[in-house]
Amino acid sequence: MKKAISALLCGALVVPLVACNGGGLREKYAQQSLEKLYERFEGDIERGTAAKPITLHVLENDTAKKSGYLKELLDGFNKMYAEYHIVAIDANQDQFSDLAENGPYGYGPDVLYQANDILMRYCDGKHIIPLPIEKLDAYEYLPDLVKDTYTYSLGGHDYFMGVGVNMQAPMLYYRKDLLPENWETEWDADGNGVFDPIEDMRAMYRWSIARNAANSDQYGFMQSYDDPYFSCGYLFSYGAYVFGDDNTDMSDIGFDAANAELGAGIILQLAGVMNSGCVDNSITVARESEFARGSYFAVPNTQDMYGTLFSETVAAYRKQGMTAAEANAAANENICAVPMPDLPVSGDLTETEGDTIESIVMGGVSAYAISSYTEYPKASLAFLNYATSYEQALRRNEVLGIAPARSDANADCTVQADVAHSLLDMYNDNRISVMPSVSGVSQIWTPLATAFTEIATDPYRPGGKKFTKQDGRPNYVTLNALLDDLCDNIYNAIYTLA
Amino acid sequence: MNAVSKTDKYINKQIRRKKVGGKFTVKKFLEYFFTYLGLLIIAFIFAFPVIWLVLASFSESGSMYTFKGFFPSSYSVDTFVKLFTDTEMYDYPRWFGNTMIIAVCSALLGSLLVILTAYVISRFRFNGRKGIMKLTMVLGMFPSFMAMTAVYLLMTQFDLINQLWGLVLIYSAGAPMGYLTQKGFFDTISNSMYEAARIDGASNFKVFIRITLPIAMPMIIYTLLTSFTWPWSDFILPKLLLKNRDLYTVAVGLMSLGDTEFARFAAGSVFIAVPIIILYFLLVKYMVNGLTAGAVKE
Amino acid sequence: METDNIYHGRPPFFKRVGQWFKAIPHRFNAYWRGVGKKFAGIPKKIAARAHITKTSPKPVKASMFLMGLGQLMQKQIVKGILFLLMFAAYVVYMALAGGRAMYDFFSLGIILANPWLGIKGDNSVVMMLLGILAFILTGFYIAVHLANIRDARRTYEFVARGNPTPNFKQSLGSMFDKYFYVTALVLPVVGVFVFNILPIIFMIFLAFTDYGGEVVTTGALVSWVGFANFKRLFSMSGLGSTFVKILGWNLIWAVMSTALNYFGGLGIALLLNKKIVKAKKIWRAFPVLAYAVPGFITLLAFKFMFSNQGPINYYIEQWGGVGKLFLGVDSKWSARLIGWIVNGWLSVPSSMLLATGILANLNPDLYEAAKIDGASVWTQFVKITLPFVIFATTPVLIGQFMGNFNNFGVFYFLRGGIYCDGYFLASDTDLLINWLYNLSINKNYYSLGAAISIIIFIISAVISLFVYVKSPSYSKEDMYR
Repeated sequence: MKKAISALLCGALVVPLVACNGGGLREKYAQQSLEKLYERFEGDIERGTAAKPITLHVLENDTAKKSGYLKELLDGFNKMYAEYHIVAIDANQDQFSDLAENGPYGYGPDVLYQANDILMRYCDGKHIIPLPIEKLDAYEYLPDLVKDTYTYSLGGHDYFMGVGVNMQAPMLYYRKDLLPENWETEWDADGNGVFDPIEDMRAMYRWSIARNAANSDQYGFMQSYDDPYFSCGYLFSYGAYVFGDDNTDMSDIGFDAANAELGAGIILQLAGVMNSGCVDNSITVARESEFARGSYFAVPNTQDMYGTLFSETVAAYRKQGMTAAEANAAANENICAVPMPDLPVSGDLTETEGDTIESIVMGGVSAYAISSYTEYPKASLAFLNYATSYEQALRRNEVLGIAPARSDANADCTVQADVAHSLLDMYNDNRISVMPSVSGVSQIWTPLATAFTEIATDPYRPGGKKFTKQDGRPNYVTLNALLDDLCDNIYNAIYTLA
Repeated sequence: MNAVSKTDKYINKQIRRKKVGGKFTVKKFLEYFFTYLGLLIIAFIFAFPVIWLVLASFSESGSMYTFKGFFPSSYSVDTFVKLFTDTEMYDYPRWFGNTMIIAVCSALLGSLLVILTAYVISRFRFNGRKGIMKLTMVLGMFPSFMAMTAVYLLMTQFDLINQLWGLVLIYSAGAPMGYLTQKGFFDTISNSMYEAARIDGASNFKVFIRITLPIAMPMIIYTLLTSFTWPWSDFILPKLLLKNRDLYTVAVGLMSLGDTEFARFAAGSVFIAVPIIILYFLLVKYMVNGLTAGAVKE
Repeated sequence: METDNIYHGRPPFFKRVGQWFKAIPHRFNAYWRGVGKKFAGIPKKIAARAHITKTSPKPVKASMFLMGLGQLMQKQIVKGILFLLMFAAYVVYMALAGGRAMYDFFSLGIILANPWLGIKGDNSVVMMLLGILAFILTGFYIAVHLANIRDARRTYEFVARGNPTPNFKQSLGSMFDKYFYVTALVLPVVGVFVFNILPIIFMIFLAFTDYGGEVVTTGALVSWVGFANFKRLFSMSGLGSTFVKILGWNLIWAVMSTALNYFGGLGIALLLNKKIVKAKKIWRAFPVLAYAVPGFITLLAFKFMFSNQGPINYYIEQWGGVGKLFLGVDSKWSARLIGWIVNGWLSVPSSMLLATGILANLNPDLYEAAKIDGASVWTQFVKITLPFVIFATTPVLIGQFMGNFNNFGVFYFLRGGIYCDGYFLASDTDLLINWLYNLSINKNYYSLGAAISIIIFIISAVISLFVYVKSPSYSKEDMYR
């Protein structure tokens, strides 16, 4: 029996050796010209019949669905295109579903709304189709950075893949009603009428210590460092970058470039004034409820979580005795958002004066794209234009509080308008580093998370601190070594297996 | 309940008294004490996280970190109400129904297949039997990850994506791979049971139905219970095969809840345990000594 | 003394080890001699086969030629037609899909897909899958054909002894009696082959292709690359040391967690089986309650419990201590311990149920007899209960060992997302399967993952086959008959 099996296995192993890989036939079919690429969008829009209407599957994200905006969007489109018998319906799938997995087999949506890192990853496999720029209504109003994010180069040509709708970046959200009584005298050193901690990280550092000293249950600035998306910003502000050559050269990993170790030192010092929850995801999970309760004064957060922040705060106010209307108004007024505070040039948060630099954060743009597997490209294009129109951008802002990417809508939006304007300015000033979309980016997250967790653990290590010197100051040598190791690990992860 | 007459009960009591000795000795007391202490500790260890989940589901706030240690800071039944009524995004009743269908069908089908396989391999001697045994043992050791890709592609070719039947098929077809558990049980049944029936002229099929199934009740119950439970906790396969939100099973659906909805997550998980516990209580009385089911005594 | 060199019984361990190694060349030669003999014996076997074929009676030869003809010639109409239909179905399948699938299996597609232009192209992996399916179906067909020939021969000999030709009803009856095992095993075998064995074969062949990384993301055609993946694995130094470290931890983990689960479950089952325990149903319900809640939910609950601001640290801080980082980057041993205990919590209930089921079949008279003979409770346990339970559950024990060896969920949920120093893409609590996940699934390197899976599998298969074949469940199956 054993011998029979071993003979069989040997036979099976021979198979790959004799397989011919199709011989030379593959080369014959490999040449495919892309001249006719935009032909799918030429001509009249597809028409259905009353008996058999055309159905467009639209994949949106959960907050749009929860708030009812998706229903509004679909109804509006259906009314507009009723005469063509085109019906847009909700794809009813997970918002993070993978078009690469579903599309080729026919289970994917026709139009999808996802984040830029996910959408641009589909480009290599050609799962989303390049859009004809001249047919897009929104194109001229998009900022350059948004246009660049969605440009894909192949064989020397550039293709435009998705129309940006929504800009996102972590911003500092704080509670205006938790300011101390005497903040204008105590905490406004430069007298510009702005509470210092929200514009200068050094003041925030001191304020966090003061608040925690007054009441051990309360904290100032709280952030979980295991999430690399939020923590990368500190490194970027000091000159680090993800991949070289504008995020295209994967062999050049820049997390230890320039003065990145100063950014790591900032993380170390901030971790010291929080609690051990900054090491794992405890603070992230507790963020909204603790913010509402008032134990956390300020947290970095993204705009899509604003709704949760708002509802939790309203609930907390109501528990304190306010009526629904009062609570809503109070929450509206007291939840404020500003860009992340400036960081010191020297990298030391304990100093009291010196120059500052603006902080850079990692951000993204969500957009609508069309799947290559759709049977109705022109109808999908019509839906895309409808969903990215000026009116819809304003409506989306009203219902969901997002920052529109279209500059005209951004100027006129009403909810969280200052956040929207700030974000647009940040995008134009290059204070936002967009997540790269090359294939190697999937390898950076875990090493980054591990490195940040290492740094954040240091204040809580019972003995043998790795990154803090005897006098409590950050040890930049070991921090630099950590960042160097990080880059090496990422490089190995990408290239050893490639 | 078998009919035991009053006289029998009285006689049984006398026998029991004699066996136990009638008097309370220190040894007896210690035995009682440590046994029940052990049972209490075990019950507590196993029940404790479940109780905590139940407490969490009664918490008013969604987030877990508003708890004071193990206890929520405020209680309300809102979460349970929301679990069943707020079905716009998270249609829990639907998921529950889907999973129930899958669990029942795959439990019945899978148990049938595996009991048949185990009985046949245990009892009959035929060519290639040892080969099958070694092969299945060996095949069960492959890490099943990569098999997921193959299963997904296979299901796309058979057009069984987004169908509950696809899942039932995979669970049932894979069940016979675990036949070794049941076979171990069948190996301990003496041949004399079957010989008596064969002498009477019954065909093998009849022997299976009339003799084997009653004796194998404990094993059948165990198989039914385990194959019923599995679809409730498996989320890898349903996530792969069920794209449509309406078809989600409970496991996949709960995983799609955000971190801030922990109370709902806990409430949903607690509810999963309900059908399994009910099934257990229904079936446990069959898990008795198989030899007393009226067969041949040694 | 002279007689000192003569060992009584088995020599001590190290001597045996030495002897084992010394015997290697001998075993090597013996193996190849055996292989040589087998090959030498082939012509003789072929001649014997040819002789049998030549001298077979006519109906049997007819069956060899065309399935079902033999039955028809012997007046078994219905059976013959059934077999002919099966043959026809197979031919139709091969003509429509199977033949093409077999060809595509070797070529793995020619036309490159381009969704932008709407060119559907060839899907290499699907072709490989369908090719394997075609081979399996061909295998089934050959098995049926051989069965058909055997059946024709049997019927011929049956009739030659003077019995009447069995009609269809009788044949059907024998399927439920003499050949019950065939009828019973058809469905399970087909199911297992298509849904379990097919994916495994697929995965094995995947290790010999380049399906990973760029090929996956760009949707290119896959090619056969032979042993290139294995060569790469063995040449990467970082992988080697990580592999050895993780393997060591994996083995320790498998042994310890299986021991805890098995003996924990057995212990609880025995405790509950005691005569003095009232309301057994209720007491048993508690572990079943733990079993009923899905595993990943309790894992997440435990992860929260041990998190840095979770309940356990909360109580520690309330009582004046400093919160401990249970599952952090440095917590190698506390994380391992927590994983061990949590895994025990999850698996002991099902072990307990199994043990209860097995113990239900244990004859209580054996205990009575032992008690009369004066055996203590411990002796009864070791000499009666333990052998019986181990006999019945050795395969399960091996299965559980394998299950724990490949236990993905525990450390993925408790401590996923951390890479430790000195490990390549793994943490110090990761098992081989977690490492496999980090390497391949996460980053799409399916072919490499398949190659590593094969290596893991070879290691586990060797260990468990060895144990299983030596165990009484396999060699002394009739112990309790």
